[in-house]
Amino acid sequence: MSKNRKSQSAAIRFGPALAALFACLTIAGAAVGYVWQKSEIYQLGRQIRDQENRLAQLQGDDKKLAEQLAILHSPVMLDRRARELKLGLSPAQPMQVVRLAEPLATPPENKNLTRQLARRPDEMAQ
Amino acid sequence: MIKRQQQFNRALLLLALVALAFIGLGFRLVDLQVWRHDELAAAAEKNSEEKFWQPARRGDILDANGNLLATSVPVETVWANPLLIGNQQAAIARALAPILRVNETDLYQKLFPRVWKNQKGESVTNRYVVLQRKVAEETWQKIRSAMSNLPLAANESEMSKTARANFKVFSRNLRQYAVAAEPDQLRVYPNGALAAHVLGFVGTQETTNHAAELFGYDGIEKSFNSKLSGASGWRVTGVDSRNRELVALRDEDVQAHDGLSVVLTIDSVVQHIVETVLADAMKEHSPVSITGIVTRPRTGEILALASLPNFDPNNLSTINTNTEPDRVISDVMEPGSTFKTIVISGALNEHVVDLNDTVFCENGVFHYGGIILHDAEHDHFGNLTVEQVLQKSSNIGAAKIGIKLQAHKLYDYMTDFGLGEFTGIPLPNEVSAKNFVRPPNKWGKYSIAQIPMGQGVAVTRLQMIMAVGAIANGGVLMRPMLVKRLQNRDGNVVQQYEPQAVRRVISETTAKEMVEALKTVVTKDGTAPMAAMENYTVAGKTGTAQKVVDGKYASDKFVISFIGFFPADDPQICISIVMDAPKEGGRAFGGALCGPVFKKIADGCASYLNIPPDENLPQPNSPPTIVAARESH
Repeated sequence: MSKNRKSQSAAIRFGPALAALFACLTIAGAAVGYVWQKSEIYQLGRQIRDQENRLAQLQGDDKKLAEQLAILHSPVMLDRRARELKLGLSPAQPMQVVRLAEPLATPPENKNLTRQLARRPDEMAQ
Repeated sequence: MIKRQQQFNRALLLLALVALAFIGLGFRLVDLQVWRHDELAAAAEKNSEEKFWQPARRGDILDANGNLLATSVPVETVWANPLLIGNQQAAIARALAPILRVNETDLYQKLFPRVWKNQKGESVTNRYVVLQRKVAEETWQKIRSAMSNLPLAANESEMSKTARANFKVFSRNLRQYAVAAEPDQLRVYPNGALAAHVLGFVGTQETTNHAAELFGYDGIEKSFNSKLSGASGWRVTGVDSRNRELVALRDEDVQAHDGLSVVLTIDSVVQHIVETVLADAMKEHSPVSITGIVTRPRTGEILALASLPNFDPNNLSTINTNTEPDRVISDVMEPGSTFKTIVISGALNEHVVDLNDTVFCENGVFHYGGIILHDAEHDHFGNLTVEQVLQKSSNIGAAKIGIKLQAHKLYDYMTDFGLGEFTGIPLPNEVSAKNFVRPPNKWGKYSIAQIPMGQGVAVTRLQMIMAVGAIANGGVLMRPMLVKRLQNRDGNVVQQYEPQAVRRVISETTAKEMVEALKTVVTKDGTAPMAAMENYTVAGKTGTAQKVVDGKYASDKFVISFIGFFPADDPQICISIVMDAPKEGGRAFGGALCGPVFKKIADGCASYLNIPPDENLPQPNSPPTIVAARESH
């Protein structure tokens, strides 16, 4: 014979309630996480795109500056400027140039020579 | 009972209707998702995906020291979508014409949609019309600003609410998307006309993806076009409603491979020295053209290659039939007396003659094979040594040496020295002049006397300097070297080119004898004393050839030349100067006109390249005033 409803305990059963709450939170958390992740992906994508555009812009600027530098280094330009400024520049005559022969590197005869010279005189005496 | 039956029937009807609706929906679902899947998926993809082309940057051309000779800078191609313009063509044309510096009416016409039938017979409207290519970034920003603030010819207050809403969408699309830009590149030559014939120029070729690709039409730009071009990349990606890329939805992302850079053996300073001196000579002597080549005889490297008149590859309107051809490799000429170096080298190498052997020069008039050969106008030589034949450039002496050498041997030496064959320089339009270096069985009866003096045979200027370079190089003919290496954008070497010896033509001893003989040409008794340098011993040979006009030798038109190298005993530099028909006419001689040009270029090169002076020459007493430079080993 089943118990009378009145005789049943009025206490809330926390187990199922917690389980339900946990399930709800999990679903809600997953949903929020999903949206957050999507938002992050979008934001990162936008940042990547902006950075790529910036990189392309900088590379373009780099090329333009390289071109300007090349124009400034151009012998045609330098020659013209030197003439305009009347600097009186002219090529050095071969006889005005003193050529210094590169000394040949010769290995020291005794490898311990440097070390010996570096010794203190009192050490030498010992 | 009847009422229950009615209720049942109604329920059944309702059920049938619902079932029918579900069947209809199911059918539609299968139709959309299964039967028309491919078609609709493609349509959906087309609406939400975009393919962006990533053009490869064309590689640079650099000189031997890494200075930029040609480079590409980013610019924009500005285009319009006529479908988004509606009836606002006039407003756009008025706003953009001054910025683009084009005619307003022409621009106005371009902005109208064009309709045509495609292959399926469907009407198609164009959505892409190029307004201008090679637009600078700054100009494009001005265009964007002008489009954003474009005043539209419409009265919104008289519009209905719906019409006003539609107009807002239209005006937003018009201002933001009707005129757009895509990346392009502009070829820039920072040195202007310097080495224009070596570099060549580029044009634009339209590709299938609307992009305009740079394409080399001449010079290194043409011959190395495939290396310089690189390979375009692309990106297939999802886009938002404003056609902006959604990075997370990238399907394909293939990076563009930039073109390789070509590093030349050309030295821009040497090239500038040559072009400056040639320009001065051009002013002074007004020839039809003048060319100058500077090589390193030991390696075959070309340090400078100039041909005037030239053009500015930045400005294609300066190119015409007079300026375009690179005469150094495509113009065939009779070499005149410079050819005597070939004949006498062959004769010495075959031991047919010795430098001290005597040749009777018939006092300036020599009858042979039914024709009369002359020496130069005032020359009536009697006996000359072989060395003197070269020094004084006796035609009769050379003819007699050629006769001694015999036709087939002479022909062998001509071909061994590289005449009549391609030199292998990596430039387009080189001619071999094979038809002008004929085998002996096609010679006339007096050819054996005529060819040794440089008539009845034709060569290119490059062939001739390489042949003389072989003498300077101890008898070994080198292949002309114009490209040192190919490198990628980061400067890593992809391909290295090394000097190539073609063949040994004469022995080292013969080459030394020839150098000794050629040294006498620039002495006061030789034909080119004005080519002599103060601090270096020069060896060289002059040439003065009558021009052939309408199949006959013209009496007042000459091609004059000088090819020389220095220091004669340790040759570092070989220089060729050729003037075509200078104004002096019959008074023009290679030694007198080309000799000084050679000297100026040689002095400039010696100073710039820091070539040690000859120690055996008398030194001036003045003390050195500048201390610089290490000894080059």
